[in-house]
Amino acid sequence: MSQYFAGIDLGSTMTKAVIMNQTVLASVIGPTGPEHRKLANQVMEEALVKANLPFADITYVVATGYGRINVPFADKQITEISCHARGVSYLLPEARTVIDIGGQDSKGIKLKDGRAVDFVMNDKCAAGTGRFLEVTAEGLGVKLEDMGKLSLTAKNAVRISNTCTVFATQEVVAKLAEGAPLPDIIAGLHEAIAARVYSMVGRLKIEREVALTGGGAKNIGLVKALETRLGYPVLVPPEPLLTGAIGAALLGKDIVREAVEKGEALLRSERRLTEATFFT
Amino acid sequence: MTEEKKPEERKKRKTATEAASKIGPIVKATIGGTVRAREEGKPIAYSFICCCYDEIIRTMDIVPVWTENYAGVCGAKRDAQRFLERAEAENFSRSLCTYALCGLGFDAWREELGEMPPESPWGGQARPDMMLGSGQILCDPRNKWFQAAQRYMPDVPVYDVGLPWPPYEDDYDYREVQGYYVKYIVEELKGLVQFLEKHTGRKMDWDRLSELVDLADRTWNLIWETYELRRAVPTPMGTGDAMNTMVPIVFMMGTQEAYDFFKELNDELKHKIANKEGVIPDEKYRLIWGGGLPSWFALTDFNYFNSKGAVFPVETTYRMVEAIYNFDIDLSKITDPLEHIAWRWVKFWTYWYDRAKKRPGSHPDVERLIQYIEDYKIDGIVMHEAFSCRSWHVGLIWQLNLLKKVYRDIPSLILESDIVDISSYNEADTKARIDAFIDTLEAVKSKGR
Repeated sequence: MSQYFAGIDLGSTMTKAVIMNQTVLASVIGPTGPEHRKLANQVMEEALVKANLPFADITYVVATGYGRINVPFADKQITEISCHARGVSYLLPEARTVIDIGGQDSKGIKLKDGRAVDFVMNDKCAAGTGRFLEVTAEGLGVKLEDMGKLSLTAKNAVRISNTCTVFATQEVVAKLAEGAPLPDIIAGLHEAIAARVYSMVGRLKIEREVALTGGGAKNIGLVKALETRLGYPVLVPPEPLLTGAIGAALLGKDIVREAVEKGEALLRSERRLTEATFFT
Repeated sequence: MTEEKKPEERKKRKTATEAASKIGPIVKATIGGTVRAREEGKPIAYSFICCCYDEIIRTMDIVPVWTENYAGVCGAKRDAQRFLERAEAENFSRSLCTYALCGLGFDAWREELGEMPPESPWGGQARPDMMLGSGQILCDPRNKWFQAAQRYMPDVPVYDVGLPWPPYEDDYDYREVQGYYVKYIVEELKGLVQFLEKHTGRKMDWDRLSELVDLADRTWNLIWETYELRRAVPTPMGTGDAMNTMVPIVFMMGTQEAYDFFKELNDELKHKIANKEGVIPDEKYRLIWGGGLPSWFALTDFNYFNSKGAVFPVETTYRMVEAIYNFDIDLSKITDPLEHIAWRWVKFWTYWYDRAKKRPGSHPDVERLIQYIEDYKIDGIVMHEAFSCRSWHVGLIWQLNLLKKVYRDIPSLILESDIVDISSYNEADTKARIDAFIDTLEAVKSKGR
């Protein structure tokens, strides 16, 4: 009988779920916004529909991300550092360093033999995170998803000196008023984030190959800015938002295999998709 | 209005040792004692820790008010914000040392009212008769804080003791210059004694000073031997407790009470070791607190580490002693008490220099970490970057990088917050970092199995 493993990653802005056996059978990405964050169960339900599986058939469920402890139907909670490490090692075995630029934080992970052996996190300040781009995009009146392509047409990136997101927004609006072209301003924003992330991850002594994950990896302008900082290309997985959830599912698979090898019983939660418990 | 803000409720940290659990009441009684001393007309001096003048003021029966300690108490009781805000309103920058800001805010408020600010933690910080600065190479508030406090207490004199030590360079022997430093410190201490005699009308009793210097030497040795007991597996005492037991080291040196405290702790640790009683029953990861002052408002984080199977048998923070008998000079032969104190100071700060010279590219602070990592069987290193304390924290990341370069890679965690300012702290993020760190420790350990 086939075994199926689910990974659910409750990030600060997006909730991601995958269902795997030997490969990824189904994946769903949904927003975690205030009205949605209780609904991790719905994201999982969508993934089950896509995989054409009842929840009872899932052998093991691992939750990760900042909201992992609030998922009542998970069998185990594992930190996003471990899950990203496992997911990236599976998707990009040659990666030695992971840079994850998420909605509310960014992190660097050093990999060895497929596991995280060191990490750094920026969670104190929006600078260096997706939130920085979100806020400044709003200030510029540009759609977030258009920022990357727009920046590629820049002739001369504008220097953004403020690391504070709020003041940086004022700064870009002022630059716009001075007549700086929009692509040059956006390219400057990408350079500012790349500089911030590079200096933070630099603590780990970055080793090639470098994998870039999280929402930031979907922004081609930011990818280019980071590559310029690093001096070489980065690896981006096919769906950079899913590495944490894939890693969670794979770690679940590892747990089951280890338990079987040791002849140990598995502790599992009830297979009932109830709401996450953020506000109780 | 800042005056109307109430402190947040505080969670109490669980201690592993009986001795550590006694520290809170000791500090409370000491602070209350300073307030009573003021009422009784005893001479009171604002003082700094690691100041070289512990035995001097104890000999002259001057009551110390440890201003850093009081700021830490306000932080631990989560009641520092109103004093920080008061200092900011007085035009002090929020990026200054928050010990100093808390103290200056408190002083400004107390002097304005002519009495303690409402509901001051543990009765408040007594108004001093004098303020004794204690400038070190690293920490500028130790020179400037009390000078700034004169803005509110212009009648209170300040004496600033300069306490340098030879800098580390790998291409010279500090012994070539150490004598100059000792002479300088002795002159500074002589000046302090004259200052104290003038402002108290009391004469220094040099024989009693020698007795207290000897007592402090014996206390140093006892502290060192007691902390070395923590090498045991499982360790009987962690850094969380050491953030309590630092009190006799830095606020009670030169007193019989400090010696007796460590005698009791020594006995307790030996008993625990004999019975294999650890901080936690199942010790999985042994960590070093490798630098940084703690967040006084978040000491329960040490309990969180414990809940994950992690213990801290050793720390560099507040371990401000070495065994006197391990120095390369026989201090017992230096009979002049001021000279004795000066040599002890210089020898403490240069203690790791020779080891550092033996390892190319290393540094004394890194050698200390390496020695502790080996002696205490350490799996990982945790540091705390307190944003407001530049002097003690600016080199931490550099030390960590150098450690990994000249010694070996070791899992590390950098916590970011402050000593007193709770607005810099995010409990959920801190726990997320600790969780991830535990994962990396497990990954590294499982590879070694």
